[in-house]
Amino acid sequence: MSHSGTGPIVSFDDVSKHYGSLKAVDGLSLELRRGETVALLGPNGAGKSTSLDMLLALRKPTAGKIQMFGSDPYHAVKSGQVGAMLQSGGLMPEVTVRELVTLVAGLHPRPVPVNTTLRRAGIEDVADRRVDRLSGGQTQRVRFALAIAGECDLIVLDEPTTAMDVETRQRFWAQMKEEVAEGKTLLFATHYLEEADQAADRILVINRGRLLADGSPEDIKKRAGAKRMSFRLDGADEAFLLRLPGVVNLETRHDLVHIQTDDSDGTLYALLDAGYRPSEIEVGSLGLEQAFLAITAEDDQANGHEPVAAR
Amino acid sequence: MQGDEKTMRGTLMLTRAEINRLRRNRRYLIFTVGTPVVLYLFFSKAGKTVYGIDFAAYYMVAMATFGAFAGALNGNAIRISEERKVGWIRQLRLTPLPASAYVIAKILTSMATTIPSIVIVMLIGRFEGGVHLPLWQWFVIAVVIWLGATIFAALAVAIGYRYPPDQAQPITLTLYLVFSVLGGIWYPFTGVLGNISKGTPTFEAINIATDVIGNKSVPAYLAIGLVAWLAIFAGLAVLSVRSMAEAV
Repeated sequence: MSHSGTGPIVSFDDVSKHYGSLKAVDGLSLELRRGETVALLGPNGAGKSTSLDMLLALRKPTAGKIQMFGSDPYHAVKSGQVGAMLQSGGLMPEVTVRELVTLVAGLHPRPVPVNTTLRRAGIEDVADRRVDRLSGGQTQRVRFALAIAGECDLIVLDEPTTAMDVETRQRFWAQMKEEVAEGKTLLFATHYLEEADQAADRILVINRGRLLADGSPEDIKKRAGAKRMSFRLDGADEAFLLRLPGVVNLETRHDLVHIQTDDSDGTLYALLDAGYRPSEIEVGSLGLEQAFLAITAEDDQANGHEPVAAR
Repeated sequence: MQGDEKTMRGTLMLTRAEINRLRRNRRYLIFTVGTPVVLYLFFSKAGKTVYGIDFAAYYMVAMATFGAFAGALNGNAIRISEERKVGWIRQLRLTPLPASAYVIAKILTSMATTIPSIVIVMLIGRFEGGVHLPLWQWFVIAVVIWLGATIFAALAVAIGYRYPPDQAQPITLTLYLVFSVLGGIWYPFTGVLGNISKGTPTFEAINIATDVIGNKSVPAYLAIGLVAWLAIFAGLAVLSVRSMAEAV
């Protein structure tokens, strides 16, 4: 393709989408580079789907500019450079799986042979079934087949493994890795945090329509306050514990204290210097899930919102 | 204009898929072909004169119009509404096919699938009802009925894009009854109702056809009326599609 340079293939420049007073997306700026596998991670209502809808020209930004392959989203989608699977996308009823995949492949400038697509999506066995008589997981795989029915440079997937069982999910990601190995760029939204950790080489954390963190899974864990610490301590007040150096988050239950900190040594020394003698001290790394919760909770507190629970 | 050619090819592929779906749909066939044929076989022998022509000829025109307009309206409105609800229209917008192709394919499909009901009812009229017409009249009345039915595909788009299936269904049924009863499909009206009747597109299509059969000159208001209804329905369709541009 002509876009073989090192410039971004997708860019959001200060993009917002408002519905009345609701800011679904609020000044989002980001860039995707060729060959990356990027996870868009955030709680429900964070603006993931709205962002993807705007990228795919289904919705227009209230403000800001989106570019894809050097043109506006609509023309990029119409040029067949993007394959996409949305949660809200549906299938034409009353036709067989093979007929539907054949139709969508035929609309593409660079169609993939139908049998190849059926095999890649793992739906050869239901190819002659009617699409409105499939299970939830099978329907999801057919929608995936439609996303890869044409040769494309960017694949966009919104929560692709919902309704898939564990085995199917693993097969799905194995297939995805093959696709990406051909040099394609992959952007997917997910609320499965292990999935982002395992599949992506870059994670974008968004909450309330804003980008909170952008980095490798390791960066994200570090960014959240990398360490988790717990100990037992009688008679310590929360206000004092929260003022300890490095503390990001605090939880107490009776005498049991859980702390998230980005400086575990400093936190502990300060506690000891203050004359406390905690027992059963444990220090460990945060998983990505806790890192994610920490980042979004921090954002919610900073903005005076109730924390949003991640699914 | 390679892009246009590709677009046209894609739209035709979608149309062919839509036609294949309808061909397999038994309810659609019964509704658009079965019902008018059965009604015609039952009632065409009334032996009276309507709109200055034989009842058998009038009723043939009425039943052909009935099957075609019911197919264009009922078939499309609820399907479009349902396809919007399940997300098929969204899915289609992620393909290289332009956003307008879906509506164009629906109207082309409607035009293709109303032909059988018109032709079959006319064949029954000729061989069972004993309607004898010059060849050019057969052709003209078929085209008038066909185009008259097609404007209802635009109304179907307007309904299907604006309302969810549970609302589209009763709205479509109501309009379908209004346009078939008032249009004089079941029986021609006289007096006040007859005058109201003249304002409906179904009446206008039927009466252009019956005037042609009766060798009368066709009054201009019938043709103007049809064009006006086409403009109204097409305008509503455009408004519906635009207002749902971000909600399909």
